[in-house]
Amino acid sequence: MMDLGILSIFTEPSFYLGALRLMVPITLAAIGEIITERSGVVNIGLEGIIMLGALSSVYVGYFTGNLYLALSAGILAGIAVGILHAVISIYLAGDQVVVGVGLNLFAYGIGVITLYLTWGTFANSPIIPKGAQIPKLYGFSPFVPFTIAVGIAAWYIIERTSVGLRLKAVGENPRAADSAGINVFRVRFLATVTGSVLASLGGVFLGLDWLASYTRDISAGRGFIALAMVVFSRWNPIIAVLSGFLFGFLFAVSLSIPSGIVPDQVIWSIPYVATVIVAAGFVAKARAPAALGKPYKRE
Amino acid sequence: MKYWKQIADSFLSLIAGFFVGGIIIWLAGFDPILFYQGLLIGAFGNLYYLMTTLSYAAPLMLTGLSFAIAARASLFNVGAEGQSYLGALAAVSIGAFLAMPNLAHQLLIIIVAFILGGLLGGLAGWLKVSRGVNEVVSTIMLNYLSLYLSNYLFTYQFYDPMRAYKTKDIEATAVLPFVMPGTDLSFSLFLALLVSFLVYVLLWKTPFGYEIRAVGLNPTAASYGGINVRRSMIMSMFISGGVAALAGAFEVMGRFHCMDTELTYIKGYGFDGIAVALIGRNHPIAIIPASILFAMLKTGVQAVQRYTSVGGRTGVPLELGLAVQGVIIVFVALPSIIDMIRRRMR
Amino acid sequence: MKGIRKIYPDGTIALRGVDFSVNRGEIHGLLGENGAGKTTLMNILYGLIPPTSGEIYLRGEKVEIKSPKEAMENGIGMVHQHFMLIPTFSALDNIILGKEPLSGPLTVDRKSARKEIEMLMEETGLKVDLDTAVENLPVGIQQRIEILKMLYKKAEILILDEPTAVLTPIEVKELFSFLRKMRDNGKTIIFITHKLKEVKAIADRVTVLRRGEVVGVRDVKDVEIPELARMMVGRDIKMKIEKKPPSLGEEVLIVRDLWVRDDRGREAVRGLSFSVRSGEIFGIAGVEGNGQSELVEAICGLRKVDRGSIILCGVDVTGMNPMKLYSLGLGHIPEDRHKWGIILDFSVEENAIVGVHRSRKFLNSIGLMNGREIFKWTDKIVKDFNVETMSLKTPARSLSGGNQQKLIVGRELSKSPRVIVASQPTRGLDVAATEYIRDLLLRMRDEGRAILLVSADLDEVMGLSDRMAVMYEGRFTGIVDPERVSEEQVGMMMGGISIGGIS
Repeated sequence: MMDLGILSIFTEPSFYLGALRLMVPITLAAIGEIITERSGVVNIGLEGIIMLGALSSVYVGYFTGNLYLALSAGILAGIAVGILHAVISIYLAGDQVVVGVGLNLFAYGIGVITLYLTWGTFANSPIIPKGAQIPKLYGFSPFVPFTIAVGIAAWYIIERTSVGLRLKAVGENPRAADSAGINVFRVRFLATVTGSVLASLGGVFLGLDWLASYTRDISAGRGFIALAMVVFSRWNPIIAVLSGFLFGFLFAVSLSIPSGIVPDQVIWSIPYVATVIVAAGFVAKARAPAALGKPYKRE
Repeated sequence: MKYWKQIADSFLSLIAGFFVGGIIIWLAGFDPILFYQGLLIGAFGNLYYLMTTLSYAAPLMLTGLSFAIAARASLFNVGAEGQSYLGALAAVSIGAFLAMPNLAHQLLIIIVAFILGGLLGGLAGWLKVSRGVNEVVSTIMLNYLSLYLSNYLFTYQFYDPMRAYKTKDIEATAVLPFVMPGTDLSFSLFLALLVSFLVYVLLWKTPFGYEIRAVGLNPTAASYGGINVRRSMIMSMFISGGVAALAGAFEVMGRFHCMDTELTYIKGYGFDGIAVALIGRNHPIAIIPASILFAMLKTGVQAVQRYTSVGGRTGVPLELGLAVQGVIIVFVALPSIIDMIRRRMR
Repeated sequence: MKGIRKIYPDGTIALRGVDFSVNRGEIHGLLGENGAGKTTLMNILYGLIPPTSGEIYLRGEKVEIKSPKEAMENGIGMVHQHFMLIPTFSALDNIILGKEPLSGPLTVDRKSARKEIEMLMEETGLKVDLDTAVENLPVGIQQRIEILKMLYKKAEILILDEPTAVLTPIEVKELFSFLRKMRDNGKTIIFITHKLKEVKAIADRVTVLRRGEVVGVRDVKDVEIPELARMMVGRDIKMKIEKKPPSLGEEVLIVRDLWVRDDRGREAVRGLSFSVRSGEIFGIAGVEGNGQSELVEAICGLRKVDRGSIILCGVDVTGMNPMKLYSLGLGHIPEDRHKWGIILDFSVEENAIVGVHRSRKFLNSIGLMNGREIFKWTDKIVKDFNVETMSLKTPARSLSGGNQQKLIVGRELSKSPRVIVASQPTRGLDVAATEYIRDLLLRMRDEGRAILLVSADLDEVMGLSDRMAVMYEGRFTGIVDPERVSEEQVGMMMGGISIGGIS
């Protein structure tokens, strides 16, 4: 057998399984954000929602040992935060970016406080009982096909159904959609909550599978990477799945490559550099929904 | 006048924060009064504590100023963390590996640190203005890049072979002297105060700062007045980044005289700075007391554990104290956040 | 529609008890100038705006229309002045939006929709490309899509708001023949316009609105253009503004063959040439949307000029930045003060120096802003122009609209401009403030400055100007002496008939 040296990691199946699982959180969050942004709302708070999803599911999972209860907790958290964001940004026409940033700070703080008050630590919570963890088959998680399915379903809904048509309309020209009889506020509200739930599920995966515990830095910038992925995927859920694989792969590389020719730090930076390049549209510039970020007011 | 209302609001939220924090302490089974007593003593109780509190105020003031400057242009610079790391980088690289006379040495570090941080901030500003990249996303990404870059250089280039995980000490000529030997308070506090004053003058007394504020409040009217909106936005991010870098540089030059390779010595100042800026309503003069308040909580909670150990019981642990600190901060920052949200509601 | 009243929260009365009725199977023109209330009335019918009071009867039965959806259910469709299309959608998607046919629970059945629309296109003769993104289609086609949208949703009453504003003459002809066909098929059409020739060409009956009231209803075959013009514009009381005769100086503002594009890329200003002398007020009247805003923006450095030149006090300033223009002698009182003219969260002082904030007189020796000079400057403005404010440091937001405008006007005039461009200077102001500003403009004129006044308020333009031009579709339909011109002539010019007149 050839001595491949560093490259030997590419022959390990565990590497690919890891890469697959790494794509789940950012892809779910990205798909959710695509739905939200296509309706014209930008949710900078993805990072915080991921954290809250992880936190709530780990918390419930730890005490009940029950996977389904833990999952539900994560979904509920996503719904609650989504509603909060929606009410302030859509109905009260507040600044969407500020609300998102506030969400992130809030989630981080709540995470830290809960970590302390529940488990008396400032670092990692204990590993949750097996019963609450998402089952894996030799390292392959059902969440992976789930994510792919969500991506395909999202694409289908957006491109082929009336729901998706109205969603796109609201994000491009809300006034025109309004005059066509569509309830702009309701569409944006539902899109925001849906996006929030998906992001939260991404966090649930981190908490119930990837780490099987909660820690302060559990999200590590994934929410922001997801935001950049939305742009990179041209707001197309299927491309988001593909770019999720790409980023998952980059993450896996940065985690598993042994110290060698290239310094660790360079490898670790790859996902983040890629995000900046992608967000700046140097690779694939696409047009955002025209009404993105602008609150809608009925004259 | 509207200032009084804002101060009253902040004060009320402070009280509310303390109140809720007290409830958390009580729920955890400790005596809230004792906790707060311990907090205050830990912050100001004796000269040593006081000096320590003030020493933390300096970097917080600078990162707070950083966020506030960009906020005046309606931009979110969340990159003070990364910008401060670059400041530390400048201080270590020039301070430990270059021989220069006193005063010139520090001056060079300050200039280079400012420029490095400024370039990082300015990059985010440019990305926003010309490529439409949301500055929250870009500054956070750049934070990671700055961390890894600094980490790499500290670990492989600037390390001290004698001590694990630390860089070489900087030369004596590059140091900011301590105000009182035996304490942590260095000249950095006075420099931070000077910078606060300069930022105030810049924003309210120069046409340049006037333009930045105008752009932040009404870019259309600003362009009607002949202001180059894009340039103002990029420049505000540049200055914001530069000021944040000073926080890192001063910590190296003043308190530590070196940096640990994982940068844990200065981690967190950037994000704390955001809270400081929010408490201070993005105004340089208000940021001074805001940073002292924040520093007070920081030193206070460290001493609280000892103070509340009464009659054999262990006292309030550090983490709980930090949690309460977080709660108080959230409360005091809330009016500012609500303001910023409301701005778009009109 | 009976007794329709519409009063806005700020007190503006848009409609004062309008009775409007249309017969089935006719083309009914709704004629009026700026602010007459035509669009407001139709927006109420279409459910976009609620009426303050009044009733609507459809086919004899009373109805309440609270949203466009309900309007459509009642068979009412509307094509607005600014198209309500989704630019990235295909024509097909735009037409079915809101009433998508479904195959299965949620899936859109584009196939059957296409069949139905193609049939519709056959019947009506309106052919469009169904699959290209609407933003890539020419405006005339976009309008057809809007009309197809209405018909697809089974509208029986079709409302069109200024439909010909964006069409070429050929397209107008095609539109008209289509409308006649629809009418012959039993559809009812309401046609909002300010263009007199069109009313004569296409309408069966016409209702003329003026200032929120019905002036009259006529059968088009029984009425001639001059009478319509008079009805549209007629004033019972001619506003009397005392004016000294102008003492004219040299030409300080010269516009030569100016072409300017609007935000959509269309030529809003078409080869305009005129000049303004010092000591006179040159007014530009005309229904809004005929290029006035773009003209002002171009002259004041806020919009790019496509072709042509602008000369200010002898210097070619085409394309120069506003600050440069201010230093060369321009003053600009902008159209929308909250958007352009004032920074609400800045103090009175800070607003008083917008545009001149870099000038050396406000800087002290070290380059910092000299508070005392700024104070003196602002104080003078506040005193000279009667700006009521608690102090010079209060935020501009706390000032009333009238005082905000006085601050802006005072600021511009304090720059000692030789040329003042005033766009809608009294819009939204109370009577006292309005009078004050008008007096001010006259005073400036008497002091020898040149004033370019653009206003949608016809009284204002006619009362203040020494010479007046009427702008229509990017050109002047005439330059006249407001004291000698008849209402009829003005109405005709606003409605598109060229008179020429003095230059």
